[in-house]
Amino acid sequence: MVLHHLVIRLSLETTRVLKMGRIVPPETQKKAAEALISGVSEISGIEAEIVEKSSGTSTRSTVSISCPKSDWRGLAEMLKEKHGVDYCSMITGIHWPDGGPDKNWEVIYHFLRMGVVDPPIIDGVVEPIDTDPEELAGLQIPLEIEVSICIPETDEPSLASVQDIWAGADWNEKETWDLVGIDFEGHVGMRRVLQPHETPVGFHPLQKQHKLRYHDFEEMYDDAQGFLRKPADAGKIK
Amino acid sequence: MAEMWISMGPQHPMTHGLWTLKVKVDGETVVDTEPDLGYIHRGVEKICEARDFTQITTYCDRLCYASANTWSHSYIYAVEDLLEVEVPERAEYIRLIAVELQRIASHLMWLGAYGPDIGNLSIMVWCLREREMMMDLLQELGGSRMHYNFPRVGGVKRDLPHGFAQRAKAKLSLFLDRIQEYEALFDESTIFLVRTQGVGYSKPEEMVNHGVSGPNLRAGGVNYDVRRAHPYSVYSELDWEPPVERPSIKGADCYDRYRVRVEEMRVSARMVLEALEKIPRGADTYHEPGDPAIIGKAPSRAPEGTSGYHHFEDSRGESMFYIAGGGEGRGKQPYRVSIRSPMFITIPYASECMIGYKVADIPAIMGSFDPCIGETDR
Repeated sequence: MVLHHLVIRLSLETTRVLKMGRIVPPETQKKAAEALISGVSEISGIEAEIVEKSSGTSTRSTVSISCPKSDWRGLAEMLKEKHGVDYCSMITGIHWPDGGPDKNWEVIYHFLRMGVVDPPIIDGVVEPIDTDPEELAGLQIPLEIEVSICIPETDEPSLASVQDIWAGADWNEKETWDLVGIDFEGHVGMRRVLQPHETPVGFHPLQKQHKLRYHDFEEMYDDAQGFLRKPADAGKIK
Repeated sequence: MAEMWISMGPQHPMTHGLWTLKVKVDGETVVDTEPDLGYIHRGVEKICEARDFTQITTYCDRLCYASANTWSHSYIYAVEDLLEVEVPERAEYIRLIAVELQRIASHLMWLGAYGPDIGNLSIMVWCLREREMMMDLLQELGGSRMHYNFPRVGGVKRDLPHGFAQRAKAKLSLFLDRIQEYEALFDESTIFLVRTQGVGYSKPEEMVNHGVSGPNLRAGGVNYDVRRAHPYSVYSELDWEPPVERPSIKGADCYDRYRVRVEEMRVSARMVLEALEKIPRGADTYHEPGDPAIIGKAPSRAPEGTSGYHHFEDSRGESMFYIAGGGEGRGKQPYRVSIRSPMFITIPYASECMIGYKVADIPAIMGSFDPCIGETDR
């Protein structure tokens, strides 16, 4: 190849003068997390704490909230209206068959506060937002928020839907019902999204009574031909 | 004229994978849409419940065939949060190099596929040619062409090979030159401009409410980037800023989403070049696999009651893993793994964006959001 003559052209085209390491300062983020915690603690029964996370050379403060099932809707509205939590990242449902009577099911929400606003229009031209993360203040400071809600022992777990608060929660809720079987009260248009539409009613594969077919079985080594597997399959959902 | 539903997919060039878009049309105009996903649902979340933490990495590679490295790294950061692992700084730099090279390869794959979507066939071959250079570099690191299984809990599989820095610099500077050729090919093509400008408008606040992030959001004139807002790895050590596009007053259109990805390739290429300069002990040092300089000690079990998660900037938006510890084998396996796929959330939004445009605009709008069905269906 003709690589040797290319090595000469190594000058980087840095047209802009950039500042080093422009990130949200950890202290600012911690203060924002404290402000959010003191805000949500007004609702009785809610426990919130700061969780420090570190990765590489950076540390960041995240908020972890545990909320009773009955207060969830009030907390969700408060997060969105008063604390500017604008982005619902993920909803996770967990089945805890051995979790005791109070924690048979758990739903965990992950939110981000992005602080995104539409860029301003000046003289008919959009001015892109190019704020320095060090200068962010108030509800603009990005935060990670985790909310966990326990559901007591029941055969038909359900929780209030937040589809109308965050449109991004819509398909997350559909998926949680489809795979885990936790229903969301007030959700419009609930349906199977990842599994086929003709999946039997009541079949939700991430519930723990459904084992992987060869859970404690080294099929690769113990039974390469698959002879032992045949009888075990009889009558099971494949 | 009477309205009717038509099905685009599961096999259709617009889909970039296997899914169905049901479109309600009134003549040539799209009135309503409904996406139907799940054709390649493999049950990765369930499979992970019967695997060790190290074994899961390979499954995460296969979540997205165009962007394997970003997905396995996304998982690894969540596991390290769960197991509280300290990672050597050199390993973080190597990871950053691997992820950013993968981001370039993924965007090139997108650009290559987007050309034929809207009638420019030659761009596909051009982009795949450059993607090959990135694949070669990634192959040097991970050992295979597409699914690298490169990160390890606590570090990386291998150090940078001998001469990697020189080859990477040569290839990336050649690549930075060739991006200009793409811009010439696209930005001066009337057909391309007519088909992408003024279709598929989306506003930033609306996108955030719908859970859309990443390059699609930055095309709307907002500089939100997970790598900057929730810094992980060594991104805060490097000199970069997320590329932001200036949209029209109606919001970001397909052209803005194309522009922001091209700029992002530039930023990633420069980031790799800078990381090769700044990497501790220099890029030419080689450590054997397993050396403490590139992999830290990590426990193999997570006790019951622990959990970890990590927001990660994937090529297509914000991806994340949530892992609950305390599964089979006294915590050797996770109890629950939950995956957040950016495209699973974005595809319903992109389908809404099409309403009001013509049927012929559907491939242009859908393609501009960069759908990847592997991660969508999991």
